[in-house]
Amino acid sequence: MAKTYDYLFKLLLIGDSGVGKTCILFRFSEDAFNTTFISTIGIDFKIRTIELDNKKIKLQIWDTAGQERFRTITTAYYRGAMGIMLVYDITLEKSFENIKNWIRNIEENAAADVEKMLLGNKCELNDKRQVSKERGEQLAIEYGIKFMETSAKASINVEEAFLTLASDIKAKTEKRMEANNPPKGGHQLKLTESRTKDSWLSRCSLL
Amino acid sequence: MSDELPEQFDLVVIGTGFPESCIAAAASRIGKTVLHIDPNDYYGDVWSSFNLEALNQLLEQPSPSLLNASYTWHDAATETNWTREALLAKSRRFSLDLCPRIAYSNGELVKLLIKSNICRYAEFRALDHVCMLYNDELVSVPCSRSDVFNTKTLSIVEKRLLMKFLTACADNGEDKCNEDTLAFRGRTFQEYLEAQKVTPKIASCVLQAIAMCNANTSFEVGMQRTQRFLGSLGRYGNTPFLFPMYGCGELPQCFCRLCAVYGGIYCLKRSVDNICQATDSQELLLSSAGKTLRATHVVSAPGYLPGMVCELQPHISRGLFIASSALGSEELNKGGGGVNLLRLLADEGKREAVLLQLSHYSGTCPEGLFIFHLTTPAVSNDPAADLAVFTSQIFKAPAPQILYSAYFTLTTPTNTALSPVKSVYCTAAPAYELDYDAAIENAHQIFSQLYTDAEFLPRAPDPEEIVVEGEDPSALNENSLPEDLRAQLQEMDITE
Repeated sequence: MAKTYDYLFKLLLIGDSGVGKTCILFRFSEDAFNTTFISTIGIDFKIRTIELDNKKIKLQIWDTAGQERFRTITTAYYRGAMGIMLVYDITLEKSFENIKNWIRNIEENAAADVEKMLLGNKCELNDKRQVSKERGEQLAIEYGIKFMETSAKASINVEEAFLTLASDIKAKTEKRMEANNPPKGGHQLKLTESRTKDSWLSRCSLL
Repeated sequence: MSDELPEQFDLVVIGTGFPESCIAAAASRIGKTVLHIDPNDYYGDVWSSFNLEALNQLLEQPSPSLLNASYTWHDAATETNWTREALLAKSRRFSLDLCPRIAYSNGELVKLLIKSNICRYAEFRALDHVCMLYNDELVSVPCSRSDVFNTKTLSIVEKRLLMKFLTACADNGEDKCNEDTLAFRGRTFQEYLEAQKVTPKIASCVLQAIAMCNANTSFEVGMQRTQRFLGSLGRYGNTPFLFPMYGCGELPQCFCRLCAVYGGIYCLKRSVDNICQATDSQELLLSSAGKTLRATHVVSAPGYLPGMVCELQPHISRGLFIASSALGSEELNKGGGGVNLLRLLADEGKREAVLLQLSHYSGTCPEGLFIFHLTTPAVSNDPAADLAVFTSQIFKAPAPQILYSAYFTLTTPTNTALSPVKSVYCTAAPAYELDYDAAIENAHQIFSQLYTDAEFLPRAPDPEEIVVEGEDPSALNENSLPEDLRAQLQEMDITE
């Protein structure tokens, strides 16, 4: 089967429980918002293909599967991730304070050159705001990453955020490819990848 | 979402090692509510991988499941730039396994990962070489057809003999009254091999690396192992073996991820202080961190059950070495170093050990370094002494430049771990095995006791196949859907 994309990027969503990671994921991948998503089981990532500079980019966006609830994200979750969306809730001070801890967790487990971006979600709830936009911007500057306020519910900036992150990863990837230093990976087991029928040993009369 | 833990579960699993994680995932997959906890602050228990600093800390504070631990720096003697400081500065680039394993490409683990679709969380590296020691020399055992043609290890006559022998093995059993082999039932595999008039070198290839036998291995077992080796060839890469990228500690986490995706709740750094039978129901009452939880069943790793005195004995002796050069010739380590397997024998074949060489291609160490994992069944409480007879075979001139060495013992309960409380099950400690067959069997068996007739880890659909309420299902590519969903979709179209 021909490859239908030029790049495949694995992205992660990280942040406290309830900041709206799954809603952001669904807004971007399905352009839908539904508060009952939380009970949706069996989904661990979503795929959306976008186009940037005439290149088809397949984004595979992974959700935490609730393992962030007691700060028990597996180290395996971070493997191979090229971009991470750090999400807090602008109506919840604690979720903003915890961003520091999540960044530490990322530094311990993700690749050193992983592209990061900070999102202050639920910006439609301005009357309940606890974290000012300036503080979000300031924190992002501190870590040298980009920042946006988003609303999965009102569909504000979600699309823009993913396009920005994807475009930054694309730039980095292409730079690395020019340097002729592509990252080396392993095999992924595929259902369809079956043994060549009759391996070299059976019915070998040659020798 | 509240950070409060629910109080009622179908299953509470204690320990996040391989078999426990399998059971947690399997139960969650069939809709059971699962709480999965671990007293440690990391996943995997004794099945975990550690960075260099974390491994040292672990070895400094041995636990009942990991005894006789020690580590030594050998950096003072080296002329490389890899000083202790340089190694520790790259600590996080290491992924050091307590329980290193490899998987047969067509073995139980690979089958389970594919069948359950957990394979989407894992990545593997095909092993580069299966090696053997022959006349004190480390040589690659030819695995593929082109290997056999190209190898300089064997003469033309030997190549023919090896092919003929392996072809006979591959065909064995297809014809039930195979007269050639009938005579060898109940005898040893070595006797069978000798009767085939192969050369000593071929016999070594087969016994050491392919059938993985010793002098006493029965004909049937040897034949079965040979067939397992042959049946895993030509699937991925050049050898029949795979190693999980970033270390074996990733595997339990893959199962945990599936459990979580299906609603399982995870809590590390949490243990259970007491378990008792509820007086008013069939349930179990667990007290954990000042809270009482109710569970229908409990599964625990050995040693984590409160109130159960569990006598432990040495089970596996482990050696772990970090070196700045690889083992064996340039040929065996093309392109910066191979991921190689070597089975060692000692004491006239009565004792064996498995050596796994990992290069940076496995994602377990920085480029330019190599990890050697040495594993043997324990015969004493001194892992270094248990392994001395094997290290002396491999670490001699021209020996790899060893920078760091560590030794430890993994234990197993002496009594078959029967819990005093009904509905509480105990998993087995890691066995001495190459693949995960025994661990999977253990998990499957406990699962079947808990949920008779339920399927063990049926395939989890891909995210694209799941239709979420409120989504427009026709937006999905109809052809990529499984058949039952496609039928539903067509029915909807008709009724509209």
